[in-house]
Parts: sequence; C-alpha cells; structure tokens
Amino acid sequence: MSSAKQVSIRGRSRYSTSKIVFSIVALVVAAVWFFPVYWMINSSLLSNVVLSSTTPTFFPDLLHGGGSLDNFATVFQGGSFLPALGMSVLIALIVVVVCLLFAFLAAVAISRFRFRGRTSFVLAILFVQMLPAEGLFIAQYKLMASVDLLNTVIGISILYIASVVPFTIWMLRGFVAGIPAELEEAAMVDGLSRTQAFLRITFPLLAPGLVASGVYAFLQSWNEFTVALVVLPDQASQTLPLWLRGFIQSSASKAIDWGQVMAASTLVAIPVIVFFLLVQGRMTSGLVGGAVKG
Amino acid sequence: MTTIAPHRRKRSLAPYALLIPTVIVLLLAMGYPLAWQLSTSLQKFGLAQQFGQPAEFVGLGNYIALATDPYLWTVVGRSLLFCLTAAALTMAVGTLLALLMRVLPAAVRVILQIALLLAWAMPVVAAMTVWNWLFDWRRGVVNWLLSAVGLPFEQHNWLQSPLSFYFVAVVIVVWMSVPFVAFSLFAGLTQVPDEVLEAAQMDGASPAQRFWRITVPIIRPVISIVLLLQVIWDLRVFTQIKLLQDAGSIASETNLLGTYIYQLGAGSSDFGTASAVSIFVLVLTVGISWFYIRSMLKEDAA
Amino acid sequence: MKRKIAGVTAVALASALVLAGCSTGGSTSSGSVAASTDGRGKTVTMWLVGADTPDKLRSYLVDEFHKETKGTLTIQQQDWGDIVTKLTTALPDKNNTPDVTEMGNTQSPTFTNVGAFLDISDMYSELGGSKLLQSFVDAGKVGGKNYTLPYYFGSRYVFYRKDVWAKAGITVAPTTLDQFNKDVATIASANPDNIPNFSGLYLGGQDWRDGISWIFANGGDIASESNGKWTATLDDPKTMVGLKQLQAIYQNASKAPNDAKDSNQYIYINDDDAIPGATATDPTTPVSLSAATIMAPGWAHWSIGTKGTDAATGKVTRTFDDSIYGVFPLPGNDGKPAPVFAGGSNIGISAKSKNPGLAKTLLKIMFGKTYQTMLGQNGLGPANSDYTSSLGTDEFATALIQSAENSKLTPAAPGWASVEASSVLEEFFSKIGTSTDLRALAKEYDAKITPMLNSK
Repeated sequence: MSSAKQVSIRGRSRYSTSKIVFSIVALVVAAVWFFPVYWMINSSLLSNVVLSSTTPTFFPDLLHGGGSLDNFATVFQGGSFLPALGMSVLIALIVVVVCLLFAFLAAVAISRFRFRGRTSFVLAILFVQMLPAEGLFIAQYKLMASVDLLNTVIGISILYIASVVPFTIWMLRGFVAGIPAELEEAAMVDGLSRTQAFLRITFPLLAPGLVASGVYAFLQSWNEFTVALVVLPDQASQTLPLWLRGFIQSSASKAIDWGQVMAASTLVAIPVIVFFLLVQGRMTSGLVGGAVKG
Repeated sequence: MTTIAPHRRKRSLAPYALLIPTVIVLLLAMGYPLAWQLSTSLQKFGLAQQFGQPAEFVGLGNYIALATDPYLWTVVGRSLLFCLTAAALTMAVGTLLALLMRVLPAAVRVILQIALLLAWAMPVVAAMTVWNWLFDWRRGVVNWLLSAVGLPFEQHNWLQSPLSFYFVAVVIVVWMSVPFVAFSLFAGLTQVPDEVLEAAQMDGASPAQRFWRITVPIIRPVISIVLLLQVIWDLRVFTQIKLLQDAGSIASETNLLGTYIYQLGAGSSDFGTASAVSIFVLVLTVGISWFYIRSMLKEDAA
Repeated sequence: MKRKIAGVTAVALASALVLAGCSTGGSTSSGSVAASTDGRGKTVTMWLVGADTPDKLRSYLVDEFHKETKGTLTIQQQDWGDIVTKLTTALPDKNNTPDVTEMGNTQSPTFTNVGAFLDISDMYSELGGSKLLQSFVDAGKVGGKNYTLPYYFGSRYVFYRKDVWAKAGITVAPTTLDQFNKDVATIASANPDNIPNFSGLYLGGQDWRDGISWIFANGGDIASESNGKWTATLDDPKTMVGLKQLQAIYQNASKAPNDAKDSNQYIYINDDDAIPGATATDPTTPVSLSAATIMAPGWAHWSIGTKGTDAATGKVTRTFDDSIYGVFPLPGNDGKPAPVFAGGSNIGISAKSKNPGLAKTLLKIMFGKTYQTMLGQNGLGPANSDYTSSLGTDEFATALIQSAENSKLTPAAPGWASVEASSVLEEFFSKIGTSTDLRALAKEYDAKITPMLNSK
C-alpha cells in the first residue's frame, strides 16, 4: 500500500489537523451518497402499508414486527430472478472481457502509431456516442431480427460492446499514452521479450485504467434496459433490469408493492458490490505505485 | 505534458490490424441504426410505414418543420442549460472527491469509495424510485427533514414548478454521475508520480500551484474525455427526466431533448421527426464540443 | 474535416445497403381463414399485458387449447409501460410476431388503423356479437370491420369516508352530479377534523382520466368525427359546462397539487399510517388522512381501509370497514350514473400471424362461457354482458357494473396515441383550476389536439 504510506507520512509530518477535517468531510459526503442506498435497503425490509405512511420510518422496527425479510422471500418465490441473474452475469462478463480486449488493442493503435485514417477513427468513435438512443429502437430491432439474433446473449452483447467500447478506448488511450514507450524498450534492452516487457512493465501501469474501464463496462451492461427491452422481447431471456422493471409494472389493476420492488432492487445491486470487492484491491494495490517507482 | 513520439519507425499494417475488432463491432452494431436514422429523418415515417406502407420522401421537410417550431428551440435551450449546469457540478464535485481520496487515511478512503460505488451500483430504476420518494410532496423525507428544522416545507411540491423540477433533476443526475467521474480521475491520479509533487512542494509550490501545474497536465487526457462524456450524456439525459415526469410536473414544461425524442418516436410514432431531432442532437453535440475536440486532436497530433 | 465525416457516413450507409434487403417484411394478407383445430406440433404465442390475468386463467387456456388442437400455447407476459414499443417492433415482423395479443383499449385504434390485426368480422357474432361491450368493440373497428375485440373491462367509481361526510353534516349519498359537486365543496370548507389542505374530493390537477367524467356527464366529449376528420371539441358548449364544474371543484373542493396524476389516490382517504414508536406509550404521528372522497379504479379497494395486523404473519393489513368507508358510482344528472372513462383491454390476432386458424380457435376458447365466467370471478369485467353476474354481488361488483354500464372510451382517432404521448390533456386539465378564461383555454388546446388526432 505504498500510496497510502505516502499519504500517511505526509499526514503525520505536516497535515494532521487538515487530515481530520478531510476525513470528516469525506464521511459526510459518503453519508450523503449512501443515503438513497440505505433507503432502498431499509424499505426492502418494510411492508407496503408502512411505506405509504406520511412519516418516514428510518429504521425497520424488528421488535414490533415492523421489518422482515418477507419481501425477499416473495421475490425469490417468483422463480424468475435466478435465470435473469444468469443472463445478466453472462452478458456482463462477455462485455467486460471483449470490450477491454478490443479497446486495449485500439488504444495501442491510436496512441503508439501514426497512420492514415487515425483521426477519422478517433472522430468516429467519439461521434457514435453522441447519437441519442431514444430514437434507435426500431433500427436495433430490425438489425437483430434480420440476423436472427433476437433474444440471444450474442446479439445484445454486440450492441453493448459497441456502446461501451468507444469510451473504453478513450480511457485506455490516456493510460497507454501516459506510459513512456521507452520503459518497455529499456526492459527489452535488458533482455526481456516483448511479451514479458508488456506483462511486467506496461500491464501493471495500465491496471488502474483497465479496472476503471472494466467497472464502467460492467455497470453499463448491468443497468441497461432500453436496448434490452427491444432486442430481448422474450421473457425467458430477460436481464435483471428488465426483470426489475417487470416487477414495478406488473399490474395495471393492483397497487405496486414497493417493499418488494426495493427488495428486488437490492438483489440486483448485490452482484455489483461483489464485483467491485473483487477488483477493488487491484485499484489501490501497490502494483501501481510500485511499478512506477520500479 | 510531453507527447510520446511515435516509436514505430516504418509504416506498417499493425495499427489497422489492432483496430479491426473494434471497427467490425461498431459497424455491425451502429452502422445500420445510424443509416436508418439518417434515411428515416428524410421521410414521412409513421406507424403505417413501420407496418409496411411506402414512406414518402420529404427531403429536409422534417428538419425545416422542426427549425420553425419554437418549441424545439425552447427544449434545446433548456437542455443546454441543464447539461452545462449538471456537467460542471459533476466535474467539480468529482474532481474534489478524487483529490480528497488521495489524501485520506486508507480506512476513510475505502468508506468513501464504497459509498460512491454503492450509489453507482444502484439500478437506475430503483434509484429513481427512491429519489421520487425522497422528494415526494406528502411523504418525502426531504420535506420531513426541512419541516423538522422549522422551514416551511410541509407538503411542498418540488416537481410542480419547472425550476425546482430541474433542481431536483440536477441533484439526482449529479449524484448518479459523480462516482464515475471520481473513480476515473482517481485512477488517473495514480499516474501522477508522488516524487514530482514532493519535489515541487519542496521548491515551495502551493497546493493550488501543484494541482494546476503538475497534476492537471498529467491527467488531462482523462479529464478531457470524462468532461466530454458528461456533456454528451447530460445533453441527452433521458431516464431520470422521464421517471421524474411520471411522478409529477407537466411534461411539456419539463421536456429535455431525450424525453422529447421519446415522446415523438415511441410515444407518437412520428419516427421521421424523432429521427430528425436525433440527428440534430448529434450535430448539436458535435457543435458544442467542436472547439474541444479540435484542441484535443491538435494536442494529440503534436 | 468534412471529408472525414463524410467517410464515416459513407461506411454507415454501405452497411445499411447490405441490410436493406432484410428490413421490410412482405405484407401478405391471410384472407379469411377458418378456425383450425389441427395444432399438432405447432406453437401459438399469446402476449398478455401485466399480471392482471391470474395464473389460474392462464393455465386453463393452455390446457384447453391443447385439448382442442393438440397444439402448444405459449403465454408471454409483457409490461404495460413498454407494450406500445413492443407492438411497434414485433407485430410487423412475421418471424417474431405474437399470434394473439392483448393491448390497452385506447391503444387499439392506433394499431388497428395501420393494419396490424387480422380481420375477424366473420367470427364476430360467434364470439358474442352485440352482447360484447360495444365501446370496446368500436375501438377495434375500422371501416365497419372488426379487428380487435374486448378482453375485459374495469371501471372507476367513488370511494368516500362515511365518517367524515357525516361529521360535515352530509348523511345521504348524492344522487345527482350537481348534488355531488355541492357536497364535496361543503365538506372541504367544513373540514371537520381541521386537517391542513383537506380535500372534499381529491382530484389531481393532471388527472383527466377521472376528471373527464364531468365532461361526459354534461354531454360533452374530447373530440368528434365527421367524414373521417377528427376535431377536438373542448370548447363545445356542453363540454364547457363540464369544464366549469371541474374548475369549481379544483378551486373549492380539491387541494390536490395541479401536477398530481391518476395514481395512488387511495392513500389520501386512509387514516394514519404511522408505525408505533419504540415503546407502547409513544404517541403516534399526525393523521395522514387528507381527503373525504376520491375517484379511482375499482381495484383500489384492496388498498383502502382500517389498518390492522395479520396475527399469523405480523404483516400490516387494510380492512375495508363498511361503517367508515363506502363506494358509489359517480352520479349523473339524468338519473343514470355519470359516464366514466372505461379501463380495460382489447385482444386481436396479428395480421402477420403464421397460425391464424389456431389463433381463431384460441379466441373461441377465450370468449366461451367458462373463460368469461372465470374472468368475472376474478374481478375482471367479462367482455360478454351475459356473464357480468359472475362478478358477484358485493358493493364493489355493484359499483363496477353500474358505472361500467354507462362508461365511455377515448376517441377512436388514429392519432390518439400521440395525444396521450404528448400529455396534452394532462397539461390542459392542470390549467383549468387557475384559468381566468376557460373558453380561450379550451380553444387553445383544441388547436393543439385536432392535428394530433388526425396524424397517422
């Protein structure tokens, strides 16, 4: 944890008061950002009647039968959560892996080479992100129907990769450009092969960029529902956001059970947290700082 | 920042080979929809055409009709204001948080990061439901808290007037976007060598000087792309506005470009006009980011 | 730079040409196909919207369909919020279209007008003919031919607090609309419990689906048709009478915000929802009751009532206590209930269906006595009036049947979907309360709505 060490050295020597102030500010900010999440979890433990109250319930009163896991049980009883989870995980994995790979290759091309068409490419990947998606649904449907990829993991993955890869390229391009090519070359002079040089020198320096882009790609595909709605019309192939939406909209003739909706939302958010915990170490590990200081 | 000179000496096919996968996937997924959008924007294309009747080619008719419709310009003005406010706030807060993370003790930093991540991880539909509750005029926690400290917010309706509707929308959009900006910039900041900062500090540079003269130039590529993306996304923000409109407010007074396109297309089946607005938004986005793109390309080519 | 942008565009266009061949489906008319019972090895897909059709009914259809045709019926549930998008993309696609689909009754004219559905005029009498709910039949009719038919109906009626009405001095339920208007204003000003912002009738500013009854009750309408041209009629003298009554309600009887919509009205006539505090002696919080009367779809009765706790599960429950709560159809001034906006669904066979014969057999099952009765037993108004009695005889069934008898639908104009999508009626209604010149306001919105009605 060398970066943390750096900070603490500085902190001890000169900024101990400001460090406390910073910490307090950070905790307040954390509380503000966390509150809606807390509200979701809190509500998932309450019954619907309680939720329609004019006075907010800040803590589920477990002693008086005020809170329970009933909502979660009901959500699971539906039986469609696990298939949707499987679908979402599969799509997210494909999107993250393929996207990072494609984007890395493209980032190397545009940051390490000068070639004809480079500027066009850079502009093109910028422009494709500027087209509003709200008007595209007919075209996306026709496209997928024409190649018979409606309701398939591959079909939706292609659309997601295409929407995430431009940003990922831009993100990684900054990182690749920030790594002096001389570093790698020097390592090769020292007798490492190109692959070794890449794996030992370049890759660790790229790690934070890969993780940040990976988290982005994951969340984009995890939360997306307007495209999924159109190209995954079959209930059997629905993803978690569609499943969640179905929960909210399931009936025109019944009141929505918000407690269950929040329990369902909490379930959708949990895998993301697991994913983050898996990569969180990478983001701050000594891998990065260590390599720079070599 | 010194740009790295291209180190491949001779022209090669290597860069093209590296781009092939991306180009293929973009062409597959975006080529047809983009072309459809362009050609539909030149036609009178409604539900009947979707069901197989021939579409009438109207040239720039849809565009002309739009350009002469004062409502479009109202929506454009609103969207620009909204976009600039939200993007500026998001960048400011995101940057401050990224810098803050650098100087925090590890434990506090992890707490902050987890809070941000949880907010980011919250499904949009769920997040909007919760925010709608928080600002609900009758049962909302916000009113409850403000009244509890004695302010006249009992049964205050936040979504009724467009201005306070946008205030709520900006709060939500900033809340949702800041984690991404903070994490991206934090990742960028790991590229700033501590030695350089410490050397500058010993030379007597103030924190502000160190930030503007050393940190910013090094993480500029990340800042510029993140800022650009915020502008792009906030200009076409859709889900948040749509779900807020469903909760309250009068749609025509609170429409932004995203909800306007949706209303024209999915709502009224006027796909020709909806496509024309989409293309217009594309051009508008290119327009407002033009200076920026150019300087980025120049810097890139230098 | 221009050259480069042009390059990008050219590439996009090139890929479009590759795909162009696939983008339009052929439009083959299936003509008049007889109902078929040979479904061996075939699958018919039906879309039902929302969870409103109970599982029991779904499995009945699957079993019965298999029994009659030996084929498989797949029922897929769609969501109300997305059904228009789904129908827009899937119905023209012969490889992925559902064979049979449910849709909201106000969505039917839009799709029927563009030829999305199969002509089923030949089955009309067999499926119930004039016994079918006529306003819904009309919503599925173009040029005298039947394309979609009613699936089930719901209705809107009045829920009121007997105790509050009595405390305000009104003990007899009103029998005319004029009396009702007067009563709710009296209750609002009496405000017997001194509740801040108390409504005699809670009517949301954007709630045109309930508010429109005042227009209908006075003989007005949103639009009328002549020679295929639709014209908005908000400034029609009869409509204006209704609008004036609405204005009085917004000004004197309802304290609902002017942006409130047709949703969750039931929470306003419920008593305190507060949770007991940490200790038994903890005082409960102020009442949440804020209206003496609401108008809502019939199903709202599940969410209205006195709060209690289910002994077995510990869950909070609502009991509709007849001594406190009551229902009645909104009265008209002619001795009949005021016409209300009918909720419900239509059902039709996709024009692109590959199994029109089997789809027709499915419709026969759905319009048969057994299924119609099952609908009624589950609180859904059956399409065929012969089976209305299956709804039962409790006060909710009575109010549902009485109010539905006189119910009306929105205009069957081709552009009706645009009117709903643009929220123009919501906007108009939200301005009624504060308008100083109602007629000018009505004219202004007529001018906005008329072109939308005729757009295809």
